[in-house]
Amino acid sequence: MKLLIVEDDADGAAYLTKALVDAGHTVDQARTGREGLLLAASEMYDVIVLDRMLPQLDGLAILRSIRTSGLKTPLLLLTALGGIDDRVAGLEAGADDYLVKPFAMAELLARISALARRPPTFEQATTLEIGDLKLDRLARTVTRSGDRIDLQPREFQLLEFLMRHADRVVTRTMLLESVWDFHFDPKTNIVETHMSRLRAKVDRGHAQELIRTVRGAGYCLSGPT
Amino acid sequence: MPRNSFARFAAPAIVSAGRPEVLRSTSARLTALYTAGFALSVLVLGAITLLSTHSALRHQVDRRVRSESQALAQEFRTKGLASVVQSVLEREQARAALDYGLDSPQSQPLAGRLAGFHPPVGWSVLQMKEQDGDIEPVRAFTTRLPGGYRLIVGDAVKRTAGIEMIILQGFGWAFAGVVAIGLIGGYHFTRNVGRRLTNMTAAADAIIQGDLNRRIPVEGAGDDLDRLAGVFNLTLDRISSLMDSLRQVSNDIAHDLRTPLTRLRQRLETIPRLRRPVEQEEAIEGALRDVDAILATFSALLRIAQVGGGTRRAAFRPVDLKDLGLTVVEAFAPSAEDAGQALSFEGDVQAPIIGDAELLTQLLANLVENSLRHAGGHARVVVRTWRGDTACGVCVSDDGPGVPAGERERIFDRFYRLERSRSTPGDGLGLALVAAIARLHDAEIALGDGDQGLEVSVAFAAAQPH
Repeated sequence: MKLLIVEDDADGAAYLTKALVDAGHTVDQARTGREGLLLAASEMYDVIVLDRMLPQLDGLAILRSIRTSGLKTPLLLLTALGGIDDRVAGLEAGADDYLVKPFAMAELLARISALARRPPTFEQATTLEIGDLKLDRLARTVTRSGDRIDLQPREFQLLEFLMRHADRVVTRTMLLESVWDFHFDPKTNIVETHMSRLRAKVDRGHAQELIRTVRGAGYCLSGPT
Repeated sequence: MPRNSFARFAAPAIVSAGRPEVLRSTSARLTALYTAGFALSVLVLGAITLLSTHSALRHQVDRRVRSESQALAQEFRTKGLASVVQSVLEREQARAALDYGLDSPQSQPLAGRLAGFHPPVGWSVLQMKEQDGDIEPVRAFTTRLPGGYRLIVGDAVKRTAGIEMIILQGFGWAFAGVVAIGLIGGYHFTRNVGRRLTNMTAAADAIIQGDLNRRIPVEGAGDDLDRLAGVFNLTLDRISSLMDSLRQVSNDIAHDLRTPLTRLRQRLETIPRLRRPVEQEEAIEGALRDVDAILATFSALLRIAQVGGGTRRAAFRPVDLKDLGLTVVEAFAPSAEDAGQALSFEGDVQAPIIGDAELLTQLLANLVENSLRHAGGHARVVVRTWRGDTACGVCVSDDGPGVPAGERERIFDRFYRLERSRSTPGDGLGLALVAAIARLHDAEIALGDGDQGLEVSVAFAAAQPH
């Protein structure tokens, strides 16, 4: 994917760029808000990663300019630790996702790939299908190889999220935020327990495991290759 | 805090030049304005009264003079000259009598003090000489009688002037009184208000100089100045509690992050000495865990501070405690089950309040996690929401060992941990955040006083139905 990083801290930007290039992305860097704005308008990017705290132009102001100029590129906002009001402000200004510094690189990679645009039909599809696993969003039913799987409402949501982000890593925090709407980090392993129950229901008795754990990052649901 | 930056703001309060303090105050100006206004209205009122009295008196005198003239003319026609002469002489002797005069056709004075002046017929003013030689003006009416006789009836101008003088004097005194009362009252009023404002200014100056514990004196009169002082004091309370929480956070960070940071440093130091890659990898992972723990503590501290700051109130919305309770129980129940514990929810009615759903969810999660962590192996934890007439609440209870009575209040302090929990994981901030979130919502936290288990209830004001 082609990414734009707008980040004023030289070390941070270099480190970010290296990690993203290592992960197979093409990365452009902008050190100031103006430069970022210019690049965002002139090039086509899959995802923009924007630091909220920038010299000269505030990150939010840049975000608003990008959105008012009609640019719909998915944008991930990076902010400093602890600002509990920042998330709402960022999302209201037009960010698509939000990550608090400091973060694990795996988290950023997962979120960037989750943000990359999917074919529009995929978003609106009423049924999701990965391999022999089928999820009907309207009937709220799940089948695997034609066999019905009974899921709790929350497990259904979990599976739906995984299937919508199929072949991509989904982190614990992403699940907490989008499935439970928990914007804090519980000390209890609630994601792990729910996931292990979901996996038991989806994968038990099947030769092909669809859901796998990605060590140090999260989970990934992928069909047979 | 740099003192200099305060001095700039303090400066205008200290500068005072020219007129004395009391005259430059708002109250002095207002009193002066009101006094002047009242004095002016007394003047206008006096002038109007004087004019109307003057015209009324003259009208009255004129009527009396005319009717006397008519009566005497009538007498002249019916009873003749002798009778009128007699009447004039008699009437002049009466008390507060009018003045009379009767002239013959040859302009010879016949009777009365006004005879011999030869005034024209109708109204005129005669200058009459008094016995003591003074000239006294008389307003007189002259009637022509049959046969060329002239009858003059008049009244001394002095008499109405006297009444007018009395009125004038009355208003003069009233004017002086208004001015005097205005000045004296204004002086006292200004001095009183000025004294209180000076006290306020002094208190504010002291606060600017850094004495954040000073408060503006409240006199107890319940007036606007007291209300102003009250509001100021509330503001100051708020500022000082914010300063306290800031100071607290700095102290907490300084003291409680030092230990894990030291541990992290030691771990990192050992890595180069480790020979086997597996050991190195383990050490690095351990270091990452340390960093994450430090960041989590840091983030929790900041969150507590931000919640304490109160800015989140702007984002309050109607939320239902029952919904939140269900979500939290449903999220944590599988983990509890796996650990051999039981987490259940009780609550059959909606419990609507106004608050921050995100923070309230965290409050519930922290209470549940606290119980799950400290209540032991086979603990049963119950989350119950309830609704009363004016309050709604949530209660999290467990059947674990509970908290000793003496330590109950302290479990909500930052980093406070019971002696026996020191070995269990936890940063000692979960309940501190619960307390902060409850305070933000003006909710009351109560701890159950039973011997068994821990019971934490949080009561909120119920949302008013629309």
